[in-house]
Amino acid sequence: MSILIIPNFFKRIFSNLFTIEKHIKLGFYGPPNGGKTTLANRITKDWLGGEEIGKVSKIPHETRKIQIKEKVEIKHKSRSIIFKLVDTPGIATKIDYEDFMKFGMKSKDAKRRAKEATKGVIESIKWLDDMDAVIIVLDSTQNPYTQVNITIIGNLVARKIPVLVVANKTDKKKSNIKKIEAAFPEYEAVGISAKYGKNMEEFYESVFNLVRKSKRKRKKKKKRGRRK
Amino acid sequence: MPHQCVRCGKIYEATDKAILEGCSCGSHFFFFFKENDIKEIKQETEKLTEQERHEIEQDVKGIIGPGIDQSKPVILDFESIRVKKPGKFEIDLVKLFKRKPLVYKIEEGKYIIDIVSTFQLKHGMKEEE
Repeated sequence: MSILIIPNFFKRIFSNLFTIEKHIKLGFYGPPNGGKTTLANRITKDWLGGEEIGKVSKIPHETRKIQIKEKVEIKHKSRSIIFKLVDTPGIATKIDYEDFMKFGMKSKDAKRRAKEATKGVIESIKWLDDMDAVIIVLDSTQNPYTQVNITIIGNLVARKIPVLVVANKTDKKKSNIKKIEAAFPEYEAVGISAKYGKNMEEFYESVFNLVRKSKRKRKKKKKRGRRK
Repeated sequence: MPHQCVRCGKIYEATDKAILEGCSCGSHFFFFFKENDIKEIKQETEKLTEQERHEIEQDVKGIIGPGIDQSKPVILDFESIRVKKPGKFEIDLVKLFKRKPLVYKIEEGKYIIDIVSTFQLKHGMKEEE
């Protein structure tokens, strides 16, 4: 009898201390210049010791290809999750090379950027179905009621992909988290400054909640698959 | 549905054999669009210079990516991504999210090029048997 109790005891203690969720694909989505790559870089900096996932820029559409970081492990309150971080190009409805020229870019380079950014939008959308959970990164100084935001969130709902909304750039005066919360009341929204690492504790807590939701969803999917 | 040559802007009816054989300018790339939009598209494209048309053609090829046999007709859905001028793109997210193929099948060519899956293919194209 005691032999049976001991393994259970160890199992219980171990699972409480160190629960590892594996193989989660976590996508970073949103409009351009919301801070997706800045946040991805912050995470890898916090947990992988300074390894950056991509370059950031004031010029929109700096990320024009999917960037992946395998096996990112984050720990929070004696729990741990390992996920594949997928940073995606910003989603937009209009891409105009003249907008890039306002930043001093030459016409030829700006046109190339526009073409690559358009290809990037398609790529981001293509990857959506592969995601287990998605973090929508929004610039909290901007109006959240845009066609891009509503379309992305609407499609995530339709695909039943768990979502966490991040109101980024809270270090800025014009930042308004409440406006983002009001725009998407059915989702958990967390205000952060990815650039300065502000409120990251709360963010990581929310990531854990998101992963839990994703796990539940995957279990249901597996069950449905078995029934079929 | 009418088709427009990406290179020279000439508009053809869907049944025109030029779509299968290629435009008189030698291009095999066509946009297709709704009958209702014909006026607007004519107005937009008439203003384009030869250089601009060439740039648009290169942009379109760049977006589709390599691995497409350019000697065969390629029909692009003008409703999901619209190239208004070189470097100016309008994207219909709703249609893209619906995974509507951007590049359509053409009967005689017997293949579909779905821009979404094009990215998954490093070599060759998705053939329809």
